[in-house]
Amino acid sequence: MARRNWTPLCAVFLLVAYLPISSRADDAPSFSRDVLPILSDKCFKCHGPDEAQRAADLRLDEEASAKRSENGLTIVVEGDSGASELFRRITSSDPAEVMPPADSNLSLTTGEIELIRRWIDSGAEWGGHWAFEPITRPAVPDVSSLDVDVRNPIDAFIIDRLEREGLRPSPEAPRETLVRRVSLDLTGLAAPLPLVDRYLADPDPDAYDRLVERLLVSPAYGERMAWDWLDAARYADSNGYQGDNERTMWPWRDWVVSAFNENMPFDQFTIWQLAGDLLPDATHEQRLATGFCRNHMINGEGGRIPEENRVDYVMDMTETTGTVWLGLTFNCCRCHDHKFDPLSRRDYYSLFAFFNQTPVDGSGRSAQTPPILEAPTDEQAARRIELDELVNTAAGDLESFEQEFFPREEGQPSNQSEAAGELPDALKDVLSKPAVQRSREQLSELAMHYEASAAEYVSLLKALESALGQRDSLAGSIARVMVMADQDERRPTFLLEKGLYNKPEDVEVSMAVPARFSPLTEDAPQNRLGLAEWLVSPENPLTARVTVNRLWQQFFGTGLVKTAGDFGVQGEKPSHPALLDWLAAEFIASGWDVKHICRLIVTSATYRQSSKATPVLIERDPQNRLLARGARFRMPSWMMRDQALAASGLLVDTLGGRPVNPYQPEGVWEETTFGRKTYTQDHGAALYRRSLYTFWRRIIAPTMFFDSASRQVCTVNVSRTNTPLHALNLLNDVTYVEASRALAERVLLSSESDPIARADLAFRLVLARSLMPEEEEVILAAVERLRDDFEADPGQARELLAVGESPVNESLDVIEYATYTALCNAVLNLDEAVTKE
Amino acid sequence: MNPLLDHAQHLARRELFGRAATGIGTAALASLLARDGLADDSSTGGLKVPGLPGLPHFAPQAKRVIYLFQNGAPTHVDLFDYKPRLAEMHGQPVPDEYFAGKRFSTMTGDPTGKLMLAPVEPFAQRGESGAWVSAFLPYTAAIADDLCFVKSMHTDAVNHAPAISFLLSGGQLPGRPTLGAWLSYGLGCETDSLPSFAVMTSVSKGTTCGQIFYDFYWGSGFLPSKYQGVKFRGSAEPVLYLSDPPGMSREMRRGLLDDVARLNEIKLQDYGDPEIATRIAQYEMAYRMQTSVPELADFSDETQATLDMYGPDVTEPGTYAYNCLMTRRLIERGVRMVQLMHAGWDQHGSITTELYTQCKDTDQASAALVQDLKQRGLLDDTLVIWGGEFGRTPFLQGDINDRPKWGRDHHPYAFTVWMAGGGVKPGLTYGESDDLAMNVAKDPVHVHDLQATILHLLGIDHERLTFKFQGRYFRLTDVHGEVVDELLA
Repeated sequence: MARRNWTPLCAVFLLVAYLPISSRADDAPSFSRDVLPILSDKCFKCHGPDEAQRAADLRLDEEASAKRSENGLTIVVEGDSGASELFRRITSSDPAEVMPPADSNLSLTTGEIELIRRWIDSGAEWGGHWAFEPITRPAVPDVSSLDVDVRNPIDAFIIDRLEREGLRPSPEAPRETLVRRVSLDLTGLAAPLPLVDRYLADPDPDAYDRLVERLLVSPAYGERMAWDWLDAARYADSNGYQGDNERTMWPWRDWVVSAFNENMPFDQFTIWQLAGDLLPDATHEQRLATGFCRNHMINGEGGRIPEENRVDYVMDMTETTGTVWLGLTFNCCRCHDHKFDPLSRRDYYSLFAFFNQTPVDGSGRSAQTPPILEAPTDEQAARRIELDELVNTAAGDLESFEQEFFPREEGQPSNQSEAAGELPDALKDVLSKPAVQRSREQLSELAMHYEASAAEYVSLLKALESALGQRDSLAGSIARVMVMADQDERRPTFLLEKGLYNKPEDVEVSMAVPARFSPLTEDAPQNRLGLAEWLVSPENPLTARVTVNRLWQQFFGTGLVKTAGDFGVQGEKPSHPALLDWLAAEFIASGWDVKHICRLIVTSATYRQSSKATPVLIERDPQNRLLARGARFRMPSWMMRDQALAASGLLVDTLGGRPVNPYQPEGVWEETTFGRKTYTQDHGAALYRRSLYTFWRRIIAPTMFFDSASRQVCTVNVSRTNTPLHALNLLNDVTYVEASRALAERVLLSSESDPIARADLAFRLVLARSLMPEEEEVILAAVERLRDDFEADPGQARELLAVGESPVNESLDVIEYATYTALCNAVLNLDEAVTKE
Repeated sequence: MNPLLDHAQHLARRELFGRAATGIGTAALASLLARDGLADDSSTGGLKVPGLPGLPHFAPQAKRVIYLFQNGAPTHVDLFDYKPRLAEMHGQPVPDEYFAGKRFSTMTGDPTGKLMLAPVEPFAQRGESGAWVSAFLPYTAAIADDLCFVKSMHTDAVNHAPAISFLLSGGQLPGRPTLGAWLSYGLGCETDSLPSFAVMTSVSKGTTCGQIFYDFYWGSGFLPSKYQGVKFRGSAEPVLYLSDPPGMSREMRRGLLDDVARLNEIKLQDYGDPEIATRIAQYEMAYRMQTSVPELADFSDETQATLDMYGPDVTEPGTYAYNCLMTRRLIERGVRMVQLMHAGWDQHGSITTELYTQCKDTDQASAALVQDLKQRGLLDDTLVIWGGEFGRTPFLQGDINDRPKWGRDHHPYAFTVWMAGGGVKPGLTYGESDDLAMNVAKDPVHVHDLQATILHLLGIDHERLTFKFQGRYFRLTDVHGEVVDELLA
C-alpha cells in the first residue's frame, strides 16, 4: 500500500524540510495572512489602532492612511516598493530613520522585509483580518485522485494541505488504541473492558461508528465536556481572595453537564447562560444558567471599596464574554484603545454596559450575594412542601389553642386578652403577632414562661418551634446560586480613565457591540438578551469559529488556531483556515449541534490516524500541526485520576450534587490560611467520585491536579508541562496507590493465574491493549523481584495494602496482593497510561 | 532509520540497561534531553536545566537571588528611616502639604488631622558606614556595613495582595509571572535534583494578622507552569507527595522506576515521541528529589556554631529561622531563586507589642543568613533582598492616649528595603524620604526600577526578557523601570 511506503517520501521531506509550513515561495503574499501579522507585531505599537500611542499620525492598520501621499511622500505605492516610504524606512541604514526604531527593541527579519517588498511589488492589495470576515462555507477540496482514506470533509481539508506540503497521512491506529483514545476523549474515562472486547471482536465496518454513538449517549460525556467549559467559566466552590467564603454554585455546574448530555444547541446554551433571566417567562433552568456570569471571584478584603469591587465584577463578566464567544482579549481596552485589534476603549465600555445593570453593589463577602436563585434538589423540594405543611399545621393548632387560652374579642391578637395582662412587655409583643410570624427564640421564651403552668400550650409552642427549626435547617442546606437580573433603573456607563472605578470620564456610552461589527438590529432587545442573540447571529463571525476551535483543541491538543483565546490580529493564524471556516459553517448549519461536531471529528480518518511518528516527521512538523499523524499528548491531570478510578473499579459514577473532598495531604489548607480553613476529608463513596465534583477552593486549588486552569479568571488555553512534581503525585498520592491496589485486586480475582496473563489483564484495563511480547520479560522480572522483596518483609506488604480507605480484600494472599499492587502502580505511571495516544 | 536518532536511542538504551542498578546516569539523561532539544551542551554553560539562548545578556554579578519578603509591610519609620523631626512633632497633626492629593487605604481615608507618631525605639548609626538602624533590629544593625539600604522606595498599590503581586510580578492583579519564574525561564538552573525556584513561608508567632499567602505570589502566570515556584512546606514532607507510600522501600521504588523506564523505552522506540524521553528524565529527577529533599532538610551536618548563629528557632520546621537555614542549603545546591515569605508585619495596632515579636522572629536569622553566605564565599554571587510591599504611615492609626494599641497604616509613598551581596554596594545608603518619612525626597526608586536593577545584576536587560501572550510582549517591568546604577558595586 502506497501510504505505508515511507522510503521514497523521505527524499521529498529532505527537500522541503526547511520551508516554513505556512506558505510557499511562489504565492503572492496575502495581506491578511502574511503582511498584517508583521505590521501588527512590529509596527502597530506606534502606528496602529491606539490613538494615544500613535506616532507621526500614521496608522498602518487602515488602507487609506497607509497609502496616502503627503509632502511628496507616499507610504505604500502599489506595485513599487522602491517608491514606497515604508520600504525605504524599513531598509534604511540610517539609525535615525530606520523602522522600527532601535529603542523599540523590535526589528524586522530579512524574510519579513522581503515579504513586504513582494507584497508591495505585487500590487499591495489590502485585506481585513481573517477572523473578522464573514464565514462563508468553503468548497471541500477534491482529493479523490489521491490514494488516501477520506471519511468526511475534515479529511479532505487536512489531506489537501498535506499534499501541498508533500506529506501523506498516517495509517489508521490499531483498534485498541482507537477505543481507548475515543473513550477518553468523549467520556474522560478508560474504556470499560466489556466495551473494549465487544468492539475488538466486532467485524462490522460500522463497529467504530457504533462505538462512538454509544459513548456520545453516555452520561459521562456531559461530565467530560463540562470540564473545559468550567475552566472557561472560572467555576469554583469559593469566592477567592481573603476569606474565600464557600459558595454553592454547583447546581449551575450540574446544569452544564445535563445541557451537554441533552445536546442543547450551542446558540441556546449561549443565550441561556448570558441572558436566560431576560427570556419571556424565564424558567428556573433559564435563570439557573445565568450563574455563568456570576462565577467570578468576590473580593471581601477589609478596606476594599464596594464600587471598586462592583466594577471589577462587571469587567470580569465583560472580558469572560469577550474571550469565550469572541476570542478577543478585551482587557487591554480597560485603559486604552487596543494596540493591535480594532477595538477601542469605547467598544469595551459599550460591552461593559450590558453587564453593568445588575443590582449587585460590590459590598460584603457573601458567597450568596443577591440576586440569587434557590436550587433545591428534587428531594429537598419535596421535603420543603412537607415542612411548610408541618409549620402551617403547628401554627394553626397554636392559633386555635390561643383563641381559648387568651380569650379576647374576635379579630384581636392574643396580647389583647386579659389573660396576657400580667406578662412582661417582651412576651406581649410576641403575642401581638400571628403564630407563623414568631421567631423560634420568641416561641422558646413563651414556652419557658409557661413551662410550669400550661403543659399543653408549651407542647404546642415547642411543636411549632421544632417545625420552624426543621424548615430553617432545610432552607440552610439548599444551594443558593448567584444569578443575573437587571435592575429597573438603567445604570449609566462612562469611560473609566485607566479602568479606575473612581475616574469616570465625561463620556457616557450606551450598550453596543464593538463598532467593527454590524450593530444590534433596532428591533432586538437593547440589553444582555440582545447581546446574547447577536453573539449567535450571522452578524457575528467569531462565535462559531472560536467554539469549533475549542472543540478541536479538546481532541487534538492544539486548536486549528493555537491561541484559542486570541483570534485577534496578534493571535496565531489558523493552520487550516478553510477547515476552520468549514467546521464553523457546518456547526451553524447543523443548528449549533455540538455532538455533531464532536462526531465529525472523532469519525474522521484524520482523528483515527496512528500517532506513531517517524524521525523525519518529527523534524518536519514537531508540533504535529499538519496532522500527518494522530495526536499524542499527556491527558489532563483530572482525566488521569478518573481513568485510574475507572480502571480499578473504584469509581462511583453518581452524577451531580455537592462538591466532595477526596484525599489530600494533611495541612495544606491550614498552612495557607493560618488554620482558618480546615480541610475535612470525606469518606466512603465521596472519595471515588469523578474529579469534576472535587471541591475547588480558589486560593488553594486541589493539590492532586496540575496544569489546571486556576479557576480565578476565564481560561481557554491549555497548559501541558512535564515536571518531576507530576511524577511524585502519580507515584505517591493515596488516590493512585489505592487505585493500584484495587486494580491488583481485580486482576487477582480474575481466572488468570500466571504473571503474564495477570499483567495482560491490568494492561487491558488501563491501556485497552494486551501486553506485547517484548514487554513480557520486564514484567516477569518485576513480579519475581517484588515477590521476593515482600516475602522477605511481609510487614511491608501489609503496610502498602493499608493505603486508602477502601476495604482490603482479606481473602487474597498478602504477598501476591502487594506484588501486583506495586506492579499496577508502575502500570498507572507508564507514559502510555498518562497519554492519550 | 535516522542514524542520529538511532545512535541516541542506542546510547540511551545502553545507559538505561547498563546502569539500571543506579538508575539512569547523568550522561544518558543529558543525551535524552539533548535529543529533545531540551539541552545543548555547547550553549548551556554547565547548566543542568538550560535557560533561553542568548541569556544572560551580559556578564552577571549575581547568579542567584534570595528574596526575604516581609509580608504585611514593615514600618520603615520605626526600623530604618530615622527622622528627628518626627519625634519633635509627635502628637501633632500631619501637615496638609505632605499628603495632598494622595490615596490611602480606606482604613485611613483622608489623613487630615491624623497625629504624627514618633518611632517607639531609639535609632543609632551603625558600623563604619553609619547607616541608621533602630534598636528593634540589633543583629541587622551589626552587619550594616554589608548591607545596601534603599530608603526611597515607592509603589503604586495601597493594599497587600495587589502590592505584593506588583513587587513580585510587576502587575497588581494575579496572572503575571513572578521574578523567580522569569529567572527560571530565562536562566535555567544549576541543579536538576531540585526545582530552580523554591518558596517557603512562615508567620510571626502570636500574630493577629490574617494575611494569606496566595499561590500567585510565586506563580508562573502565562509562562509554562514548570517555572512556578515550588513550595517547600515546614513539615515532615517538605514537597507534596515526596514520600513513597508506606510499605514501599527505596530499593523497590528504584526497581519499579527502572521497569517503567524500560517499558517507556520500548514505547519510545515504537512511537518516536520525544515527550516520552522527557518523561523518563522527569521521573528520574523525581527519584533524585526524593533523596535530595530529605537530605536538604536534614540539618545534622550543620555545626553547632552555625545553628547558634541562626538562633534557637532554627531547628523548628516552619519558623523563619529554619527557613533561612534551608535557604542557604538550597542556594548551595544550585537553586536559582529562593523566595522566603514571612507574614505578620501588618502593625495597624501593634507597634508597641507585636512588632517586638516580629523583629525577634526575623532579625537574627536574616543577619545570620547574610553572614553565613559570606563565610562560605557565596555572598559574592548571591543577591539577598530584604523588604516588604510598602511602608507604614509616619502618622498614627489609633488613639494617641492608648499606647498599647498604637498602629500605623499602609503607606506606599516611601519605604526601605535592603540588599546584600551579588553586585550591590555594601555600606551604601541610597535615596532619602522627606523630614517626616512621608514622601520620597531624593533619588526615588520605583518598584519597576528595583526589578530592573535586580535583573541587571543577574545579567539580564529587563527590556529584552519578554514573553508574548495574548498578542503582547510582556516583561517583569511592564513598560517602565530604569536600572539604578548607583547601587551597583
